Amino acid sequence: MRDITKTPLFWFCILCIVVASVLPVWVSGYVLGLLTVAYYYGVFAMAWDLLFGFANEVNFGPTFLIGLGAYTAGIVNGRYGLPITVCVLLGTLAAIVGGLLLALPALRVSGPYFGLTTLVAVLILQNLIVVFADLTGGEIGLTVPDVISIDARANYWIALAFMVVCGAILWGLSRSSVGLILQASGQDKVQAGALGFNVTKHKLAAFVISAFFSGLAGAMLVFYMGTASVGTFIDLTVAVQIIIAAVMGGRRTIVGAALGSIFLVGMTEVLRPMGELATLIVSVIALLVVLFFPNGFIGMLTRKEPA
Amino acid sequence: MKPDDEPLLQIRGLCKRFGGVVAAKDVDLDVRAGEIVGLIGPNGSGKSTVMKLIMGIVRPDAGSVKLAGEEIAGLPPHRIARKGVGLVFQHSRPLQRQSVLENIKLALLPDSLIQLAGVPGIDDRAREIAARVGLDKVLDRRPSTLPFADLRKLELAKAIARDPRVVLVDEPFAGLTQAETRQFSDLVRSFRDQGRAVLLVDHNVKSVSALVDRAVALYLGERIAEGTAADVMRNETVRRVYMGGSLETSYRPQSSFADKEATLQVKNLNVQYGKAQALDNVSIHVHEGEFVSIVGLNGAGKTTLFNAISGFVPYTGEVSWAGQSLKRKSPARIAREGIVQCPETRELFTDMTVRENLDLGGQHLAKPQRAERLTWLFDLFPILKARQSQNAGTLSGGEQQMLTIARALMTNPKFLILDEPTLGLAPVILEQISKAIELLRKTTRITMLLGEQNVTFALPHADRVYVLEHGRIEWEGPPDRFAAEAGEGYL
Amino acid sequence: MLGLQIIVDGFAISALYALGATGFTLIFGVSGVLNLSHGAIMVSAAVGAWALHDLLAQNAYIGATFGVVLAMIVSLVTYGVIVRPIQVSRSIREEEKEIFILTATLLWGIILQEVIAYLFTNNAKSVVPIVDGVVSVLGVRIPANEIFTAIICWLVIGLLWLLVNRTPAGKAVLAASMNPKGVTLLGIELNWIYIAVWAIYGALAGIAGVLLGMFLGVSSYSVGPLTASAFSIVVLGGLGSVTGSLIAAYVVGYIETITAYLISPAYRFIPSLLLLVVVMYVRPYGLLGRR
Repeated sequence: MRDITKTPLFWFCILCIVVASVLPVWVSGYVLGLLTVAYYYGVFAMAWDLLFGFANEVNFGPTFLIGLGAYTAGIVNGRYGLPITVCVLLGTLAAIVGGLLLALPALRVSGPYFGLTTLVAVLILQNLIVVFADLTGGEIGLTVPDVISIDARANYWIALAFMVVCGAILWGLSRSSVGLILQASGQDKVQAGALGFNVTKHKLAAFVISAFFSGLAGAMLVFYMGTASVGTFIDLTVAVQIIIAAVMGGRRTIVGAALGSIFLVGMTEVLRPMGELATLIVSVIALLVVLFFPNGFIGMLTRKEPA
Repeated sequence: MKPDDEPLLQIRGLCKRFGGVVAAKDVDLDVRAGEIVGLIGPNGSGKSTVMKLIMGIVRPDAGSVKLAGEEIAGLPPHRIARKGVGLVFQHSRPLQRQSVLENIKLALLPDSLIQLAGVPGIDDRAREIAARVGLDKVLDRRPSTLPFADLRKLELAKAIARDPRVVLVDEPFAGLTQAETRQFSDLVRSFRDQGRAVLLVDHNVKSVSALVDRAVALYLGERIAEGTAADVMRNETVRRVYMGGSLETSYRPQSSFADKEATLQVKNLNVQYGKAQALDNVSIHVHEGEFVSIVGLNGAGKTTLFNAISGFVPYTGEVSWAGQSLKRKSPARIAREGIVQCPETRELFTDMTVRENLDLGGQHLAKPQRAERLTWLFDLFPILKARQSQNAGTLSGGEQQMLTIARALMTNPKFLILDEPTLGLAPVILEQISKAIELLRKTTRITMLLGEQNVTFALPHADRVYVLEHGRIEWEGPPDRFAAEAGEGYL
Repeated sequence: MLGLQIIVDGFAISALYALGATGFTLIFGVSGVLNLSHGAIMVSAAVGAWALHDLLAQNAYIGATFGVVLAMIVSLVTYGVIVRPIQVSRSIREEEKEIFILTATLLWGIILQEVIAYLFTNNAKSVVPIVDGVVSVLGVRIPANEIFTAIICWLVIGLLWLLVNRTPAGKAVLAASMNPKGVTLLGIELNWIYIAVWAIYGALAGIAGVLLGMFLGVSSYSVGPLTASAFSIVVLGGLGSVTGSLIAAYVVGYIETITAYLISPAYRFIPSLLLLVVVMYVRPYGLLGRR
């Protein structure tokens, strides 16, 4: 494996992290709050990229996994008053179990059907939350008694550290032997099988890993926000945002997904004075990137054709 | 060779059907350790299916595949691979964003989710393997920057990395130059010298004859001959399959056609598929009303040539029809101008009736004209009249082929391209199609380009013949000189 | 009487679902595109019809016609500006085009939704019905508009069936869905067929949208749920199978109506989603799906 410290991308990332970690000195608590959310979204997008970019499986339902993690953690905390760490762990566990339940039948089918299955999962979760409103708070949302911290800076640094650690793990994983095997399986099932790799096992593993990080980040985000609602965790628009972030940042790069998320949140904020037009402009920019720069930011940055 | 040994790979009674098509019928095959066996057969003979059955990519309907006495039929590919069977794919799909070295390392990895850090010593092993196949100079390059021969070597390296006891090689020499072929042959021989069992899958005996200890010929899913390469080449059945029996030809000389300058001109045509050169400087011409046959084995480039003429693949060089370049025209436009193709894949509308298929062919014609053509076609292929209201998908292979030709003729073409019309068809059907083509030659002004690997079928209808081999035109002449000048080289 | 009410209500809503899903499945069948801006096109039509009547004081017929024409235009723009460029792009690998088309059409849907919200606010809009009043059938009072909706839906579906199965152009479309290369070989430009199909699709989605606007009303928030419902119906019926979509539309329509009447309107969508999951487990390719 080539020495990663020699790539410009690596130094770019280090620079970004350094700038990000000293940011609280200058910027307001409001901006920190936005960035904190953006970092959690970054983890969502990176977990999605592992599944799409490497295993070549399009998951339209990242929010199914995120929502399971977030709501499980929130409910357990609200009902039984368990400490945050335990709740986060239980949330993550729920996401993994949900991921397995989803992946087992979904991996049997190919093409658009896999994506459809994952999409349906989101719709079901969304409806179940509304139906079991006693437990979940339904359309109003769920209020969580505990929060990670009430200090904006502390929250910010925790989120940043969390994203960096998750990013490093996912990135390392994508570069590891498992990452290689995953890419081979995603690219050509038959040839990967003939090389002696159990394609289903590896794809399932990718799904579980993606579920792990999605659920974990979802559970953490609940304890940052103090509330959970369908609109912030599960709705398809959230899923779309995650997918767009990953595609805009550059597929198959992990890092790009995080950049894309920060960009999306940042853009929406910059455009806030435009009022209702903000979402419109962000969507147009995202569409233009998808149409004209299919390799995303990282693709523009490295100017190499990764495809 | 150690003929007394129990074969390392032992296949008995292997059967596979795809829908109504028998791809493998009761195939027996033995490959011993330290032996190279060639599995040969024309396109559609079932040799690729047999290879996939061994590897587990396709599950057999019946029969047994034993590896050193252990039954492996029905196992998934990755289990079969782990037991010691390796497959060198013809079309490689390496990981594009990884270096050559990493691609080789991929093949060395265990099927494990835990071994994240990699395997100790894996780097050295990968380098060693790269050196053996001659990739040591390009270890850090990305596969997309490599020439075609190096990509094939990379596939070989991946197979070596798995240290298989049985190596299956699909079309070992396709797309390689002579020098590269020699290098590749040496590598395959080294497999044998290490005591592995090697199965080469190829179209013709000639290309692998220098390499194989034994050859087995398949035709229509059945084994038709076995022996040394020389035996198989002398075998009557094999000769009939490849060369046909005695050939009757009747041709019209080029000077008999009215157009001085041939109406279809293909000049210096080059087509690349990724790294592989599918057509190499091909020039042909066809006079108006002339019937020309392009003879060549599967993979020689016939389909590519036809697809270039029809505008389906990008090319360099020039294709012109009646003095006009076809280069910038869409495939549909070319078809509307009268150059109509019957591809070997037929491309029928299988869920529509025979009649609907034909009507679509004649959709641009006025009603009386269409009715007239329909009557004429039903005379040409009477069976289609009886099958009119049946879905095209329910027809037999021969009937489908007739429908394909009839549908193309419905468009009232000036120039008809037939690609492998005989593929997988029974002799009695061949005769009917043969008669129809002869009738077209005698009674219409249509021009025809026929691509065939079946020489018996191709020559009687030809005024002139081209031999296409490895993307190059190797011979051109009247059909009666074919056997003497080009026939032997063709087997 | 509740039974009759359910039958009538379910029939009308199912007919509407059927019409919306037919267009969706037609596009998939012919060009392999899952158009996630479907809901936005339907809403555009309804809002177009509403705007012409309520803002520009045109009569209901002109409004409805304008809505349908608008949907056709939007549909053609979707094809020409979003889908086609991705299909012919050389910098996107073939196997990734699907996700790109899905992402791009989804974004396009959001853009349309935001444009509508910006120009006409998020408020719910009801298109003025072409027929008014209430009809009493066997003691059950049914809005005439409901009957009108069902009739128009089935009329349009019937016309579509005739168009596809009885005209040369329709046959070409059908042929293209089975074998695009085969069509090219006969000298028919696939691009013409695709343009025709997107125009037809636009008309179908437009009619469904306008009728929905008359029946239940729409707002820019309807975009997502409409796409999702068409999506689930089409998946349930089997991608690319029009008959499957029609059956699925009725299955879903009735299950929803029954749930809404007998249990609670809040649970309306759940049984059909669960059914969808069961189908995905048992028959992953839908009720009548091939492949």
